[in-house]
Amino acid sequence: MIANNKKLNPPFNYKTIILVLLIIFILIFSAQRVGIPNIVDRLYEVSLDIIGVKETSRISDGLSSIANEMWPPVIETKKDINLILNFDSSNLPFYSFIENQKVQLYETNLETLELESREEEVLFLVEPFGYLKLVLLKVIESIEIAFWASFIALIISIPLAYYSAKNYAPNKTIYFLSRSIVSGLRAIPELISVLFMVLAFGFGPAAGIMALGLHSAGFLGKFFAEDIENANQGPQDALKALGSSRWRILKEAVLPQVMPQYVAYILYILDRNLRMATVIGLVGGGGIGQELKGRFDLFEYGHVTTIILVIFIVVFIFDQISAKLRNKLIGNSS
Amino acid sequence: MSNTLLKIESVCKIYPGNILALNNVNININNNEIIAILGPSGSGKSTLIRTILGLTSLNKGNIYFRSKNYKDNNFNIIRNSIATIYQNFNLVSRSSIIKNIILGDIAKVSSWRLLFNVWPKETQDKAKDIIEEVGLNDIDYNKRVENLSGGQQQRVGIARALIGSPDIILADEPVSNLDPQTAKDILNLIRKTAKKNNISVLCSLHQTNFAKTFADRIIGMKEGNILFDKPAKKILKFDLNKLYK
Ligand SMILES: Nc1ncnc2c1ncn2[C@@H]1O[C@H](COP(=O)(O)OP(=O)(O)OP(=O)(O)O)[C@@H](O)[C@H]1O
Ligand SMILES: [Mg+2]
Repeated sequence: MIANNKKLNPPFNYKTIILVLLIIFILIFSAQRVGIPNIVDRLYEVSLDIIGVKETSRISDGLSSIANEMWPPVIETKKDINLILNFDSSNLPFYSFIENQKVQLYETNLETLELESREEEVLFLVEPFGYLKLVLLKVIESIEIAFWASFIALIISIPLAYYSAKNYAPNKTIYFLSRSIVSGLRAIPELISVLFMVLAFGFGPAAGIMALGLHSAGFLGKFFAEDIENANQGPQDALKALGSSRWRILKEAVLPQVMPQYVAYILYILDRNLRMATVIGLVGGGGIGQELKGRFDLFEYGHVTTIILVIFIVVFIFDQISAKLRNKLIGNSS
Repeated sequence: MSNTLLKIESVCKIYPGNILALNNVNININNNEIIAILGPSGSGKSTLIRTILGLTSLNKGNIYFRSKNYKDNNFNIIRNSIATIYQNFNLVSRSSIIKNIILGDIAKVSSWRLLFNVWPKETQDKAKDIIEEVGLNDIDYNKRVENLSGGQQQRVGIARALIGSPDIILADEPVSNLDPQTAKDILNLIRKTAKKNNISVLCSLHQTNFAKTFADRIIGMKEGNILFDKPAKKILKFDLNKLYK
């Protein structure tokens, strides 16, 4: 009889204990560095504030300083007609009106050299939904940025995926090169790459499209390639034995297998680009982000609220649509 | 013209790790002949079939198809003449029955047709005829293959092999994943269609009792060597005992 000298590994041993202690030590050290105690402190304070034990807290002070100004959202525009070029009062923009308002003007009296205020009537052109319209136009621009970026990403990622799949790359050098490009594209965050794209393509949507497109091409290239590598080998062997070339095998034996995953990746990229497209405007990439940044810098929090609400609604609607689309494209298998 | 379709001459295959999977194997396969290969696990049956298909390279020896020697570079002379049936069926899941069958002609269709998924009318008609021949006519051929039973899937596999009008079909344990009754039906189908269409068959099997009714000739393999190569009728209990001991 063969002696069975194999023992089951115990669930943990001294190595496990050392490892756990080490992890705890690192966590404590790191928590100090990044200010976790500060977070705990302030959350404790604000909870005392909420239950009424304490009068104030730093969190509520900080947020309440702008909370009052964030409501209501601003949806109208109001412009001094003297500042509008070629103003034509007989031909007002749709659904707008002229409002007469008294404004305080401050002027230095040249004789007394003192600041004097006087009231003056100024005519304003009011468009009740003017700002909402502007925000919507900017949001549409962001959506366009997201779509174009995803489209460019798809186009770039197809050859990248083919050459990054070990079993389809023509040789090791090309495989390595392609993998490097894929990693490189994903390594640079969009918020950084858009700064370079602004230098290359100027401020505006083009810079945003390129920044988002290249980053998501890296993402799609990687995941497309990995699915190709992991695809069931059997049908590929069968077609290979029939004398089929690589791209034919890829199209007929691999693509049908990986398609549902690919659709999911593309929808995810669209979703992600939509959210990122609102952000990259902050650093010059066009779209609603530019508007958001401008209003924030001018402390116009009412406008900020409008923008955030519109972004929320758009993202929500897109979520619904993409869930439906996903179900339709990859849901049932009958 | 000689009656030999495929000639395997002094073939050796050594896998990394010095595993001698095929040791000086000689086999002649004649036109319209059905051959079963028997042998215990690891005897080299799959390796033999893979080397004939050019899926693994050989270390020594030659393989001739209709007296033409083919090596790594000119496998194309056999591609149109050899078809394969697999143990795991190797069908493209998420594709339909008819699509899988038509794929048997993949190497013969032009690139643009493949790209846009436009298959010649003759191919489609042929596929429909073959569907009838393999006994799948009462199933909707637009159904996806992964929803079929094992036996039905292997029928699709056979149909895919038949559509290219091959001269020989290689089958590596085509019935190992099927229950005995279905296995019998599938082997009968292979034999019937092969005889009808003048196709030779080289098929590895584990069930000795099936081999005797299925094949014209039986080859016994063990540890990379051929132990016997005889007409099926002349196989004795003695031969089989030698093989599986
Ligand atoms: N890719 C490989 N690399 C290394 N050794 C291999 C490889 N494939 C097969 N072998 C070895 O070659 C020998 C023959 O294997 P093969 O698969 O041809 O046997 P088989 O007769 O088909 O067995 P089974 O009946 O179990 O399918 C075995 O010893 C096996 O371990
Ligand atoms: Mg085998």
